[in-house]
Parts: sequence; C-alpha cells; structure tokens
Amino acid sequence: MWLRLSRSTFALLVVLLVCAPLAAAQAPPSAIPRTPDGKPNFSGIWQALTTASWDIQDHGAQKGVPGGPGIVVGNEIPYQPAALARKKQNYAARATEDPVAKCYLPGIPRLVYMPHPFQIVQTPNELMMLFEFVHAVRFVFLSGQHPPGPIEWWLGDSRGRWEGDTLVVDAVHFNDQTWFDNAGNFHSEALHLVERFTFLDADHVQYDVRVEDPKVFTRPWDMRVILYRRKEPNAQLYDYECYAFDYEKYYPYPEMRTPQ
Amino acid sequence: MRTQLSIGIVGVLLLAAAATPVRGQNGAVRPLERLPDGQPNVQGVWGPVNGGSLSLTNPVPQAADFDKSIKPLPSRIIDPPDGKPPYQPWAAALQKQQNHYYAYPMRPEHIDTQHRCMLSGVPRLFTGIPSLRIFQTNGQIVLVWDTYHAYRVIPLDGRPHVAPNVKLYMGDSRGRWEGNTLIVDTRSVKGQRLTYIGDFYSENAQIMERFTWTDADNFTYEATITDPTVFTRPWTMRVAERRRPNEEMWESACYEGMTDPNKYLLKNAPPPPTQ
Repeated sequence: MWLRLSRSTFALLVVLLVCAPLAAAQAPPSAIPRTPDGKPNFSGIWQALTTASWDIQDHGAQKGVPGGPGIVVGNEIPYQPAALARKKQNYAARATEDPVAKCYLPGIPRLVYMPHPFQIVQTPNELMMLFEFVHAVRFVFLSGQHPPGPIEWWLGDSRGRWEGDTLVVDAVHFNDQTWFDNAGNFHSEALHLVERFTFLDADHVQYDVRVEDPKVFTRPWDMRVILYRRKEPNAQLYDYECYAFDYEKYYPYPEMRTPQ
Repeated sequence: MRTQLSIGIVGVLLLAAAATPVRGQNGAVRPLERLPDGQPNVQGVWGPVNGGSLSLTNPVPQAADFDKSIKPLPSRIIDPPDGKPPYQPWAAALQKQQNHYYAYPMRPEHIDTQHRCMLSGVPRLFTGIPSLRIFQTNGQIVLVWDTYHAYRVIPLDGRPHVAPNVKLYMGDSRGRWEGNTLIVDTRSVKGQRLTYIGDFYSENAQIMERFTWTDADNFTYEATITDPTVFTRPWTMRVAERRRPNEEMWESACYEGMTDPNKYLLKNAPPPPTQ
C-alpha cells in the first residue's frame, strides 16, 4: 500500500519524520511562568545536564571526559572537506588549543551548555544571561537591529523576538576564536545562529539552535539541549574566574598571606 | 610598555573629561519613582560624577594638570576625617611599596589587577569610569558593569550568606531597602586592590554599602570597609553617581588572555623608596 504513495505524499512524510524531533513539546500556556506583560518569564537559574561541552557529538568516556550522547540533531556535522581536516587538527591539539583551556570567553552556544549554571534576568526590553563561567554577560535585546558590521565579538550580537511563547534569538557578529566544544568543532566569523527557547513545563526549557556558517559547513545544522531550572533553596551563582586562577598566587599581596 | 602607556594616556583624557563640571540637563530635579512593589525605581545606567580608580585620596588629579582652574577633588574617604585609609604600619609600608612598583613593575604582583583584566570587585568598580546598569527583578537587585564582564546579583529576601570560607571576586551580598537607601552587606570577598597606587584590603574585609538616592538621577554610594587584618579601624569612602543615557551595553571583553601583562615587567628599575 505505502508503495503506491505519490511522490509528493512520500516527500511530505519524510519531511514530517525528519522534522518531528525538532518540534518542541511546548508546555500548555497556563503552565508557563509569565512576566506582568504576559510574556514567558525565563528569569531564574538554569543549567544544562549534558556532556556536550566536551563533545557535541556522541562520545565515549576518556580520562577526565564523561561520555554521553551528543546534542547535534542527527549526530552528523556537515563540514566542508577542508574544515573537517581542521576539525581533526583541533581535536588532536585540544588539550592546549581549546579556547576554554586558554580561558577565553567560550562563545555562544557553548556557554549555554557548559557544566556551569547561568542566570537569566528578564525585562520587557532585554534578557540578560549572567554566566558563572568567567562572569560572562550576554545581552539579548528584544528591540533594535543588529548593528552594521563587520564586528567580531566573543558572544556576538543577539536580537530576540517572540514567536508565540517561544523566544527566538538571532545572533551574528561573532569572532572565529571559539569552539563549540573541547573536541575541536569550530566555526568562522561568518557564524549565524538562530536560537529558540521553549518552555516544556515551568522548570524545563528546550534550547534549539540552528547553526549556519557557509565558510565551514555545507548546510545549516541543528543542536538541541534541555535546560533545567536550579530549584535548590537559595540557589545562587558562585564564580569561576578561569584566567584568574593562574594569577591568584600573586594577589592579594603575597605578604598578606601571613598577616603581620 | 607601549600598550601600557597608551592606556595611561587614554585614561588621563577620560579622567579629564569625567572631571569637567557637568551642569544639570535643564536644571529640573526629577523625583524618584516607585515600582509596583514599593521599591524605589532605580533602574537604568549610572556612572560616577568623577570617575577614576587611580587614587582614593587624590581622585582625578590629572584634570588640574590640564586646567588650572579646576581645584583638586577632596579625598573619596569621608571617615576618618583626614581622608586617608587607616592602615596598620605594615600595610601602610606595603601600600607605599606597591605605589612605587606600579610605575616600575619588576614582579608579576606589581601589575595592577585591572591591567590583567581581573574583576576589581567591591567597591573599586564604583570608582571607575565605565557605566553601571541596575536591574530590579524578582526580589533582587542586579548590577552589571560595562567592562570586565562584571556583575553582581544581590538578593533582597534575607537569605543567609554563603559559607565564610567561600571567596568570590564580587563578594557575596545581601541587600535591603531603608526608605530610598539600599543597604548591602557584602562578605566573602577576595583580597582586592582598590587603586592603582596600591591601596588594598584583605579577604577578611567586610563591606557595608549604602546606595542613597536623592532624586531620580543621582545617588551617593558609600562603602564602609571593616578589615582588622589591614586597617586599625573601619573607614568609609563615598562616590557621587549620576544617571547616564540609557544605551545598550555591548561586549567589552578586556584581553581574554590575548595579551600577556607580564610583558610590562621591567628588567631594571629604580630602587624602592626607603621606608
């Protein structure tokens, strides 16, 4: 019977099957926390429970690296041939060349799924994402346009809009210094992200990000991560001032370690 | 040294600009508004009227060099009355030594933490020129600075502090309102430098901060620092802060490890002053 399906029907089925995993199981509107102006309220402390910061693709454990499923939808990243070679070079040199090993700002989207919590502060005009990792601050402006480039920022320029109860963020103006993970997956300064934040229920947010970079990939590809609300009583961010650790032996003054 | 020198020159120009007397926009004083929950509405972008973290005792000295009609500003320290940090003798000697080595860095610890892009902490960031943005949401005050990716989240719900052994670059703060004054108790700080000229406190410092709004566009920031490791008594500094245009804050990433401050180190330098 199914063999008799018309070509167009078959194509539709394929599209549905491929897209089904991308459709968010959005929470019913009454279950979504809301701001006084009725928008979904993402304020709170969130954290991804994933090993994706080590490798966004499926990976087994190594010493110091927890194994786990990746977050790339379909698990394959469509590198151009030269870019794939570069990725392999990055992987071989990851112990020293991972920008996070050098304590650079990790970029977007990696900051979202690193194993540190982050806090969202939401107003009618913007969402601020305050990250525990190196105190990074990301603004998602809900108004205005991307400033004209070229601009190369670690965290890009982010402009958000509401599509129903989903926050859709368009991000450009990145530099080429950050990786998606410790496994050497990388991008160029042409990176363009479209991120979608969708409540699954009051304490879980599905984070979908579409990655476009015509200098590195043959086509756009997607990642998906669940963000969990930190519900411990009195939950708060501490800090992880990555590059400061190496300097702490100098500050405060060494003499102060032994009060006179 | 070229980079350091250029930073210094830019700093002097900015300091001079910041020290220029600013007249009211139109002379009108806007009263403080209230949020629906009764808190004063203090959201927006702010900055010191006279910005600069070179010195607490002689803030913005460069302005007078450019314009002789400008009088030196009084010390930011309002207590003790002599306007000087009440150092214990060992700490006074160390401050003097660090002041000397700031200009002639020989060892890594001679380089000011701001030149390493490390977080300057409380209260130093209130003296600096970059803007401060205040948000009020969900029972908390959130402060975000325009540099160093620095922020503070200050709960207003009376929750307990983190354990004393935890040390945080921006400290651990709890706030409450008394009328138009936000009172913030800040503990668990890292030992921090307070100025380029080598003022400092230790990780035992506790800071009581008072943000007092006089109208919708001005507040006074006061910090009382209690640190029995370094000082003979608590002392208090004050900075006048004024509303700035409500502009978007864009990324300010400092060096991100791309520049090695150790290149500032000198192989030879004059001997330190006798103490």
